[in-house]
Amino acid sequence: MTQTQSAPPATVPTAPPPGTTLQAPNARTAGPRGAVAQWFEGTPGRMRAFLILAAAMSVVFGLAAAQGFSQSDGALDRAQANTAQLVRIQAIHTNLVSANADATNAFLVGGLEPPEQRAHFVNSLAAAAGLIAEAATAQPADRDVLGALNKTLITYGGLIEQARANNRQGLPIGSQYLKDANSVLQDDSLPLVKALVEANEKRVDTEFDGISQGTIWILVGGLLSLAVFAITLRWLARRTHRYLNVPIAAGAALVLLTTVVGGVSLAGASNSAKDTRSSEYERTLALSRARIAAYDARSNESLTLIARGSGDAFDKAYTAAAAQVDEQLGKVGGNGGNLQQLWTAYKSVHDKVRETDAKQGNWDGAVAMAVGKDETNSSVDTFNAFDSSSNQQLTRTSTGVQSELKDARDGLPPIGWLGVPLGILAALLVAWGMSQRLEEYR
Amino acid sequence: MKKLIPLAAATALLLTACGNANYATTQIPPVPSPSVAAPATPAPENCKGVDPLASYQPDGPLPDPKGPMPAGTWMETIKKRGRLIAGVSADSFNLGYRDPITGQIQGFDIDMIYAVADAIFGKPAPGEAHKVELRVISSPARIPSLRDTKNPVDIVARNMTINCSRWDQIAFSAEYYRSGQKTLVQLDSTAKNADDLSDQTICAPAGSTSLDNLKKRNPKIKPITADTDTGCLVLFQQGKAQGISGDDTVLAGDVAQDPYAKVLPERFSEEPYGLGISLQHPEFVKFVNGVLEQIKLNGYWKASYDRWLEPALGKAPAPPVARYGRPIPPK
Repeated sequence: MTQTQSAPPATVPTAPPPGTTLQAPNARTAGPRGAVAQWFEGTPGRMRAFLILAAAMSVVFGLAAAQGFSQSDGALDRAQANTAQLVRIQAIHTNLVSANADATNAFLVGGLEPPEQRAHFVNSLAAAAGLIAEAATAQPADRDVLGALNKTLITYGGLIEQARANNRQGLPIGSQYLKDANSVLQDDSLPLVKALVEANEKRVDTEFDGISQGTIWILVGGLLSLAVFAITLRWLARRTHRYLNVPIAAGAALVLLTTVVGGVSLAGASNSAKDTRSSEYERTLALSRARIAAYDARSNESLTLIARGSGDAFDKAYTAAAAQVDEQLGKVGGNGGNLQQLWTAYKSVHDKVRETDAKQGNWDGAVAMAVGKDETNSSVDTFNAFDSSSNQQLTRTSTGVQSELKDARDGLPPIGWLGVPLGILAALLVAWGMSQRLEEYR
Repeated sequence: MKKLIPLAAATALLLTACGNANYATTQIPPVPSPSVAAPATPAPENCKGVDPLASYQPDGPLPDPKGPMPAGTWMETIKKRGRLIAGVSADSFNLGYRDPITGQIQGFDIDMIYAVADAIFGKPAPGEAHKVELRVISSPARIPSLRDTKNPVDIVARNMTINCSRWDQIAFSAEYYRSGQKTLVQLDSTAKNADDLSDQTICAPAGSTSLDNLKKRNPKIKPITADTDTGCLVLFQQGKAQGISGDDTVLAGDVAQDPYAKVLPERFSEEPYGLGISLQHPEFVKFVNGVLEQIKLNGYWKASYDRWLEPALGKAPAPPVARYGRPIPPK
């Protein structure tokens, strides 16, 4: 800002902002100051100044309340959307590893895959493709990675079909195509899925943190306006020798009520979101991770057998994945029902598979267990039991997260859009109250 | 009061702006650059005047498999264990491969293993399996799996070429098959030999001697590598390689799986195959040499050749003649 030379500063009748006028209340000593200065002169002038300050503060409070509410409400909404997206990405991950577990296990049976296993493979891959499209619509920020993921899956699917076609003809090159497919999934697809999971977990965390920030807006706004109201009321009481200016007090009460109701309900919503985060959401994450690790373990069981004696690396990968399942199931805890037992049952069959293969050197016997031909020790049956039960639980907890966050949001009073009208109402009450006193000076 | 309205509006805009969900685009993770396999430096052949194909002379006739094996020998250990542990390939069609339909590993190399197992345990009754545990090992794992201290294999039958630098680490049986390096090309290729393949992309397994032989044969060929022989066939089928170079036995398996390929007749190296055995068990090497001698004579060798290799490689040649005379190193 540059001051123009032709305008002498003292005589320009510019309206100074309300803040600066307040700091120069003794304007009457400075000679002719123009209409504005006169307007703030003496007790009525001060009254007008207080009127403007309190009214402005009321409106600011209204805005702060609206902002606080829309922030918390928005954060809840986005937390809900982002958890849904995270669950979707985890489901993509699960479907991919589950399809791959089917494909590797089918390799042990050769060209004659069991029809149910083939159907499961096809359905898993189809479900993953559907979820990718859904996820790309739900979160535009994920679109690039999801597009890249789709590309790798086309390669993966193509290699798997080539592996099957060769397997069906009894040509051993099929196994090489299967290996290539497996490495496309492990090296190209899964890193993309992991990037998506990380990005969405971060988003969920940001939004969960943001829910409580709305409370700060309403509390700070409320306390500041109440302070202004208190000062105004006190000054008025002293100046006018009346104990209470009812309209202004009503305005203060309105602000107080909004602050209390808003603060309490926001704190409540943010607490229930916190509860959801530490219980249902944690459980959903743990169940997803347990399922992903379980499929990984299952694939490694097959890969160890396929490698026939040189599968140490896969066996170690199995052990790591199985430990991860145990850890995640530990987080699910007592809410997991019989999941832990089902998983232990699968693990004990797996141990028998390893025992038969490695210690007894009976590869065929071990394969019979791993592909479900051995009905007393079938790792197919025990794994499927774990799979379907954990899937049910995951569906339950993830819908739980969604409905709990929705309830928290629905439970909020409509201060988001009522905030500004309430602030204006309080400002009008101030104006009304103050104008009663100003009348006396006419 | 009126002055406040634009101010309030501006504040409101500012306030709402900071609560918006504008997420950063999820980043595509960087692809880790594939580690370039160090080119295999061919170990300098230092035969110290010893014929690489010479193995240990068998001591007289084989022990009767119905009875116990001679005390203190490795054969006794195997018999007590109840099975012969063999390192084999599962992806070399017709040599050692897993039949996807039956799930069984079979082929010419596997027949050699069965002959050794039967000489220890006797022929299995009809419907019974040979007393063998087949461990699938990769090509670079052939020597380490024999020298492993914890859980070694007894014998390796995985198209392994006998040479002097390998003799420093393991022992070989007498030669059981003479292979050689050839080149596979597309059916419509006009190439007559490796000279015509300049500027073409030819695949060979990483770290194999085939790769070095190929570079020596025609340095203008652009080599590309895969982990295994079958990996090369996949590259060939995907159009990423215009040809494959390798042992004629392996290429025969490739042609059998892909009718759009043919093998050029030019053979530019000699690859004598031997069964790998630990240097610790010279008595077992002698025993295996006895078995090989027997099967070369009794028609087992030819029957196996006719079953697995004849369709692709033509009529059975005479089995390679065993050479002996290597002194047993002191323990």
